[in-house]
Amino acid sequence: GASFGLYFPRKEYSENVYIDQPAGTPLLRIHALRDSHGESAHFHLCQNLIISRARSHENHWFQIREKMGLLYLSKSLDREDFNMLSVGNWMPLSKVMLYVFLSSHPFQEKECDSATRTTVVLSLINATAPACSSLTARQLCFTEMDLSFHIKENKPPGTFHQLQLPSVHHLCQNLSITYRLLAAEGLPFRYNENTTGVSVTQRLDREERERYELIAKCTVREGFREMEVEVPFLINVLDEDDSPPFLPNGTDTADAVVEFNRKEGTVLATLTVYDADTTPIYPLESSRKKYTGTIITDDPWINETFRVEHIFEEIHFSPNGSQVRGTQHEYKLVLNKSISVTEHRSFQLDVLVNDTEFNGPERSVMLHFNVSILPVSIQFPNTTYRFTVNRNAQRFAQIGKICIENCMKFRGVNITYKLLSPNASCYAVGILQGREDKYGSIYVNDSSVLLRPECKEIQYTVQATDKQSRKHTKTLLTVVLEGTVFKKEEDCPDSCAMSKHLAECEECGGLGVLTGRCQWRQGSGKGITTNYSTCTPSIKTCPDGTCDIVESKDPAICPQDCTNGNIIGGHGKGTGNLGIKSGHGICYCFPRQNCYCEKDDIKEQFCDEVCKTVI
Amino acid sequence: LAAPPSPPGQDPQGWRVPVDCVRASELCASEGSCSSRYRTLRQCLAGRDRNTMLANKECQAALEVLQESPLYDCHCKRGMKKELQCLQIYWSIHLGLAEGEEFYEASPYEPITSRLSDIFRLASIFSGMDPATNSKSNHCLDAAKACNLNDNCKRLRSGYISTCSREVSPTEHCVRRKCHKALRQFFDRVPSEFTYRLLFCSCKDQACAERRRQTIVPSCSYEDKEKPNCLDLRNVCRADHLCRSRLADFHANCQASFQSLTSCPGDNYQACLGSYTGLIGECWDGWERAPSSHNPSPNLHLTSSSACGAGFDMTPNYVDASITSITISPWCSCKGSGNLEEECEKFLRDFTENPCLRNAIQAFGNGTDVNLSP
Repeated sequence: GASFGLYFPRKEYSENVYIDQPAGTPLLRIHALRDSHGESAHFHLCQNLIISRARSHENHWFQIREKMGLLYLSKSLDREDFNMLSVGNWMPLSKVMLYVFLSSHPFQEKECDSATRTTVVLSLINATAPACSSLTARQLCFTEMDLSFHIKENKPPGTFHQLQLPSVHHLCQNLSITYRLLAAEGLPFRYNENTTGVSVTQRLDREERERYELIAKCTVREGFREMEVEVPFLINVLDEDDSPPFLPNGTDTADAVVEFNRKEGTVLATLTVYDADTTPIYPLESSRKKYTGTIITDDPWINETFRVEHIFEEIHFSPNGSQVRGTQHEYKLVLNKSISVTEHRSFQLDVLVNDTEFNGPERSVMLHFNVSILPVSIQFPNTTYRFTVNRNAQRFAQIGKICIENCMKFRGVNITYKLLSPNASCYAVGILQGREDKYGSIYVNDSSVLLRPECKEIQYTVQATDKQSRKHTKTLLTVVLEGTVFKKEEDCPDSCAMSKHLAECEECGGLGVLTGRCQWRQGSGKGITTNYSTCTPSIKTCPDGTCDIVESKDPAICPQDCTNGNIIGGHGKGTGNLGIKSGHGICYCFPRQNCYCEKDDIKEQFCDEVCKTVI
Repeated sequence: LAAPPSPPGQDPQGWRVPVDCVRASELCASEGSCSSRYRTLRQCLAGRDRNTMLANKECQAALEVLQESPLYDCHCKRGMKKELQCLQIYWSIHLGLAEGEEFYEASPYEPITSRLSDIFRLASIFSGMDPATNSKSNHCLDAAKACNLNDNCKRLRSGYISTCSREVSPTEHCVRRKCHKALRQFFDRVPSEFTYRLLFCSCKDQACAERRRQTIVPSCSYEDKEKPNCLDLRNVCRADHLCRSRLADFHANCQASFQSLTSCPGDNYQACLGSYTGLIGECWDGWERAPSSHNPSPNLHLTSSSACGAGFDMTPNYVDASITSITISPWCSCKGSGNLEEECEKFLRDFTENPCLRNAIQAFGNGTDVNLSP
């Protein structure tokens, strides 16, 4: 910040200015607080009035007493001045703004760029000063602005406000206006009746208490009449970095195990550091720089493979019953790249946390992560796979899944599954794997093979390969064909989803059926539900809310999961706008065309746009 | 004063009549000295703060000359044809005049002069019922019905609702940017007698208040995984011309004032409701965005140039479905404010505890407006 430590206890001051108020009228009093004993404050006005931000005008009317901070009218503001200053103001009330600057030494000329300044907002009232008798007690006692101040912690005491309004005191000398400060007993603030000044009597500590709520009470006496007004008087204590980091319960060590989850970005372990100081979350980057976490290592591999992520949030402490804000810093050990399945190491990784703005010896703490990287094996479970297929199954019927040991737990490991040539000429099945899928789906690739009597038991070799390490493993897959071939119904559609009724559904087959027949799912029938009635090749896979890799091969297999066309009737669409997540009554589809969801029994009107969009 | 032939932009008394900034820049461009000074000023402002700019003699001279040009008083209109261009011209001049640290900024928009009563009259013609007399009805439902009976309202409402509730993937609830754009179109193109009735309907039970809260589809347009700090949000907003203007307009028209009966500036409820509505979905890509080189606060953690891309925006909404108290807030909190907590709370209170805004919403809901003596 600034090279000196004087500061204003408020950001903004305000007062009204009336037409033709005489030169010499005091307007308001500004105070400054010190950083160290012996400093003295000098106030200075920038010689420009800011009018409605677009314009500025040279200041001919206002001056400030350099040592006392009293702003006064040096020249009366007449109607012509008023009109000139009001141009460009759109609002009913004209406002001009002044900046007051602060320095610890007498001002040389034209210093308008000091960092320490406060704003004075003057409302120009298009009337002459009101009679004291026409003012309310509230107007006589306080300005419109809240009585709210900020005082830095650890700084010397001093006077920071004057309750009496200089303008009112000047204007209404025959009124008796007295003030009191309530709820101040036992608090480090004092009110001086003679000067009406309020001062802070000792150094404040934010970590002990950060907000004081007092009440300013004002009594106006005019003859026998007495009026009272009370307003809140608030003091916020500003924070500085005067507390070192500390560990909750002394915990400075955590285990970080890398096993199935080896993906870049994985959080392995988290350690927490507390600090009684506040940390603003913006600008985020600069706060991160103030509180650093660095991996201490010479090993380039460790540096490449791991990173530390720092997040922090505000938490509350209650040191003496009153709540104050502090900061919880979390340091997460994160994988910076995916780790090969063959990697095997253990070591201790140290992270140095540094509170860079704290000026004490205990500004840093060391965190320790016990890192174990375990290798994982790429192998199939002991048994071989054996799937049976009904000879009446049709193309895209899903027979089963192939998965190496722990495959569903893997992250950051890319396994691909492949079928090696079978022992005979019976190429009935194929394997498919979605982009992110950890398993392979075995499905009927050629249903005509199922009809050939010489194909009874087909043996395949399945191979799983890890992409990164090229490690692979094999197992045997036996596909047994069973059942007798029955004659297909005539005039059946190729998609189960086209059937609207249970009878026609269960009579026919369609793409993806396992036993030659479609299956009917009977829904609950209550409103728009995920459990709608529909005809499907296999209740296990369709509709299940996901358009899997086999279903996506042909729109006729399971349009309930995969359609991207129109759905007519009450419905909710699935993720990514694909499929019917929920439907009203029975949902059926014409693949590559529309789907319909409707109640079968009553011929209700479809729920149209109006029906749907009333939330 | 000698009276020169009045140039465009001046009324017979010699007072400058405000023109919009697009027109003002055209007027300036047609005049040699003005256009060269304007160019100079824009160069002065690029990448410099106010103090360094004013230290330069040439820049200061340009500023002084431009004080006399129509550019100085120029304003923009909400939803005008070249609104963003207009706002860019406005801020290209005004950015150099403010420090960017003022709590309240002046609004670049022309004041709203119409009154709420005008809307009520139209609304009752459309609905065929007087909202004030029918005490048992659900006003928010009535508003939805009235909207559905109007083709334009129905079309744009269905449009934003389907956009805002379209799930993209299990992790991405919806495309927020598109949702905001659709909301903006709804509020810009549908007359306020429909939109205000949906947004500010009065409620006597929770179902109604929940419907009111749901009006802007808050799960997409409002809520987010994390709540940013309000001052951070304000900084990001001020880096964007449109957001900054809408926020300044909200402050200008809804800032609580002790000097009026209603707590609203000029007792103008309509102006406050209008600028509140202007904040909804305020960042959208309906215009071509020119890269602004003088953003006052380049936020490092933002990768996108548009404030919306990062999910930051000032869209306000009802925080709950309470019928006893109306609490409005943007999606932010004052957690993590450090030494600026007081300022942050002051900023947030202009939404959450603003008597002007609350009175304006209640007055609209009850069908009452202040009677101003002519």
